[in-house]
Amino acid sequence: MLARALLGVRRERTYYLPWITRRGVDCTLLLSNVEARFKEGFTRGPFLATVTQYNARGKTVGRYEVSLHDPTDTVEVSLGDTPGHGFATVASERINSDLYVTLSDGTSYTATHGRHEFVEHYPPWTAALLATSTALLALVGRTLPAFARDQYVYVGPDSRSHVLLMNLSNVTNRIRVVLTAADGAARRALLRVPPRGAHLLDVGRLTDPASVTTACRLRLEGNAWFNLYLVGAGAHDLDGPLSLMHVK
Amino acid sequence: MSSKPSGLLSATFAEPAYDHLVELVHQRDAAAHRRLASLRMTAHDADGREVLALDVDPAREIFDLGAALSERPEERLMVLFDARYDEHVFPYRPHQYAYLHPRGATDAPLYYAVNATLGGVPDRIGATNINNVETYVFRPRAFAERYSVMLGNVSRFAAAQAQLIAYYGTERVGHQIELPPKAHVEAMVAADLEGIRLSRVETKAPFRLATYVVGRRAESGHLVLFDHLFTYVK
Repeated sequence: MLARALLGVRRERTYYLPWITRRGVDCTLLLSNVEARFKEGFTRGPFLATVTQYNARGKTVGRYEVSLHDPTDTVEVSLGDTPGHGFATVASERINSDLYVTLSDGTSYTATHGRHEFVEHYPPWTAALLATSTALLALVGRTLPAFARDQYVYVGPDSRSHVLLMNLSNVTNRIRVVLTAADGAARRALLRVPPRGAHLLDVGRLTDPASVTTACRLRLEGNAWFNLYLVGAGAHDLDGPLSLMHVK
Repeated sequence: MSSKPSGLLSATFAEPAYDHLVELVHQRDAAAHRRLASLRMTAHDADGREVLALDVDPAREIFDLGAALSERPEERLMVLFDARYDEHVFPYRPHQYAYLHPRGATDAPLYYAVNATLGGVPDRIGATNINNVETYVFRPRAFAERYSVMLGNVSRFAAAQAQLIAYYGTERVGHQIELPPKAHVEAMVAADLEGIRLSRVETKAPFRLATYVVGRRAESGHLVLFDHLFTYVK
């Protein structure tokens, strides 16, 4: 907290959800305020919200105004099926409920929920300092490990879990990835994720094929705040049905 | 280690022919991992009978539930993980998540949070809200899916009377469910009522049950939804 204050970093409370689309896999957000139905001051609508969709490069590619008539009303926001990924934020003063993100192949759908956390804003001088220092560290395959996450990922003969990394900050986030397989072999990568951008980490590229489903350890270190969702893929990998899976 | 370790009872359901890997620690934290003191896994049939019990090596990070239950004939088992750990050092809670995939299927695997049903460290697991009145919302358009809610009574001695309510527009359909200790059920919920699509479900119980909302592909029966419900009181 002290370091953030010294660096002038501001945290803005933000509800966000991941999104991923592929040909034949549509991504739709499902918004409601049902969890607030017994909460004082939240029993009557309308409940207004603005959904902002960022793509992998951090560009705003969609903005949607949503109105829920009452706490049990639901509204869908389709993010289409043009291949891409990123995250979407939902700004609302009176929605106090988890919101779902769904992926569908047209026959069935998988679902998970978003997160009420924050996005970090770095002032220009701190951003410049970070850009310089992380560029130097990148020369030796390193980053400034301001945030670290550990996560299991899974690789099997007919399924695997990829990782959707979301840069929840307004600075470039260099994220160092170390994936350790069950046999102890480690693979490393250094990613450069634009401000408010995202990166789909293809776990299959970092591991050898497995005859049985096994867990690998993933260590992630970034110079700014980021979070992740797992992307479940079946036998057809990213060309087949997908699921998004939340992680705390 | 403290002389009074904390306890956490987590619960899930298992079916045959799935890869099902349960994380015994929350993410990978070496310091926390060392502090998991003990872990016992039990599996119960629909009537609550214990059909398998294992003392699991607390040094393990991943438990292969699919392999452990591969010889069991039951269509569905409720699996309990009874963990002990030192509340002063454990940063979160054990066996937080699990990976689930029907073997050989083209379906996407699911990754889900294992229900924390009893215990834990309240200010760390965020379970200070009422967690026995829950809800889950469905997409308004129709899919070729079947829906249900799996409910299990994790208590040792107390039977539970639970209510499962399905909402279709302004109509509601209630189901009364009696669950003796350790018994469990998959309560089917119709996807529509006279042409009106299922909008949400709600569960009410006198105390915390193991509860998962379930969606299956109509054709294969494979799981496409296996998720926790959400509390009304945040």
